[in-house]
Amino acid sequence: MANLLWLQGGACSGNTMSFLNAEEPSACDLVTDFGINILWHPSLGMELGNDLQQILKDCVSGKIKLDIFVFEGTVVNAPDGTGTWNRFAGRPMKEWVKELSAAADFVVAIGDCATWGGIPATAPNPTDSVGLQFLKKNIGGALGKTFKAKSGLPVINIPGCPAHPDWVTQILVAVATGRAGDLTLDEYQRPKTFFQSFTQTGCTRNMHFAYKVSTTQFGQRNGCLFYDLGCRGPMTHSPCNRILWNRQSSKTRAGMPCLGCTEPEFPFHDLMPGTVFKTQTVMGVPRELPLGVDKSSYIKYTGAAKAATPKWAEEDMFVV
Amino acid sequence: MSEESDKELLDRIAKMLDGGLKTIAEPFPEDNFQFDVIVRELAHIEKDDVEKKLVVAGYVNHPIEEMRCMECMYYLNHRKWCNLPEIDLPAEPDWWCRLWRI
Repeated sequence: MANLLWLQGGACSGNTMSFLNAEEPSACDLVTDFGINILWHPSLGMELGNDLQQILKDCVSGKIKLDIFVFEGTVVNAPDGTGTWNRFAGRPMKEWVKELSAAADFVVAIGDCATWGGIPATAPNPTDSVGLQFLKKNIGGALGKTFKAKSGLPVINIPGCPAHPDWVTQILVAVATGRAGDLTLDEYQRPKTFFQSFTQTGCTRNMHFAYKVSTTQFGQRNGCLFYDLGCRGPMTHSPCNRILWNRQSSKTRAGMPCLGCTEPEFPFHDLMPGTVFKTQTVMGVPRELPLGVDKSSYIKYTGAAKAATPKWAEEDMFVV
Repeated sequence: MSEESDKELLDRIAKMLDGGLKTIAEPFPEDNFQFDVIVRELAHIEKDDVEKKLVVAGYVNHPIEEMRCMECMYYLNHRKWCNLPEIDLPAEPDWWCRLWRI
């Protein structure tokens, strides 16, 4: 039996909604099949007031063994570093986060806000929000650069806006069943099993990417979303086209450009007007190229790819 | 539109350019924000006003340095067509306009 506690800081509850829709395994499977005991969760916990406070205190003191501490949302520091804009169970949430993280065997940050600050930490960051161990790309966050949970692992970051439900439940199962040693984390402490490949990996528009045929308007099924509509699929680490959403689709499959929500810089360009759903260019060339591709190679490749484009790639292949 | 009418329109445009139609080929938009200004201007032009679209887009019947329609991401090589919705006109692969992008 592994005790799990889930708290929310500066959050929209999107990751909770996602988690509750998990299928493989489901949130119920965690309890019935994998021995996870959910001590408390904002949408599932029955305790209120003093009863909840006592659970938290017992976790901090060690009276209740805290195996997994899951945090969703940012750690709010405003105003003036006090964190009192986000009070919970009688005190600033940031204080609970610090003490519970120190008491836990594993600390798991779910979603962009808990991992790197996400949208709340976008400039000018009025709530002085940070992620558990990062603020955007900078390591540190609420717990500090050197933080390690009792297991010896740093915060396990499962980013996304929201995180895919199965990324959450599969990592929780791995941790709860003693297989945390199988996890390898990347430089941003994301499990590589999910975040080594790209959003583009498995994208149904890859043929159009290869032949440089662009989608020019939303809703077009033909064409690649990278060239004009700002898709970040070639630069974003996520399995969105390998582990499908609702088991059947993804943003890019549905014609929606990837926003890069599993990367620390999300939301990119601080959401400045004209930067969302629009490929940023310099003299006609994308400002950001597919990861690992330099500008000179990109230009040469474009010429070759366009010259090789077959006729079918320019036509609508999705006919009734 | 049929292939025949595409060809007729392409010939008509070629004649206009060969005849010395002055288009706004400069300045070339340095970034997508300047690009969008031109696109918005194009969006207000009547669909059938081919000449005005050519002028605003900056159509020219030759490459500029190494840039030509053939490599532009909006260009459909087989149809010889600019697929940018605000232009939506035929073009030869060796032509160019200031909305060129790769």
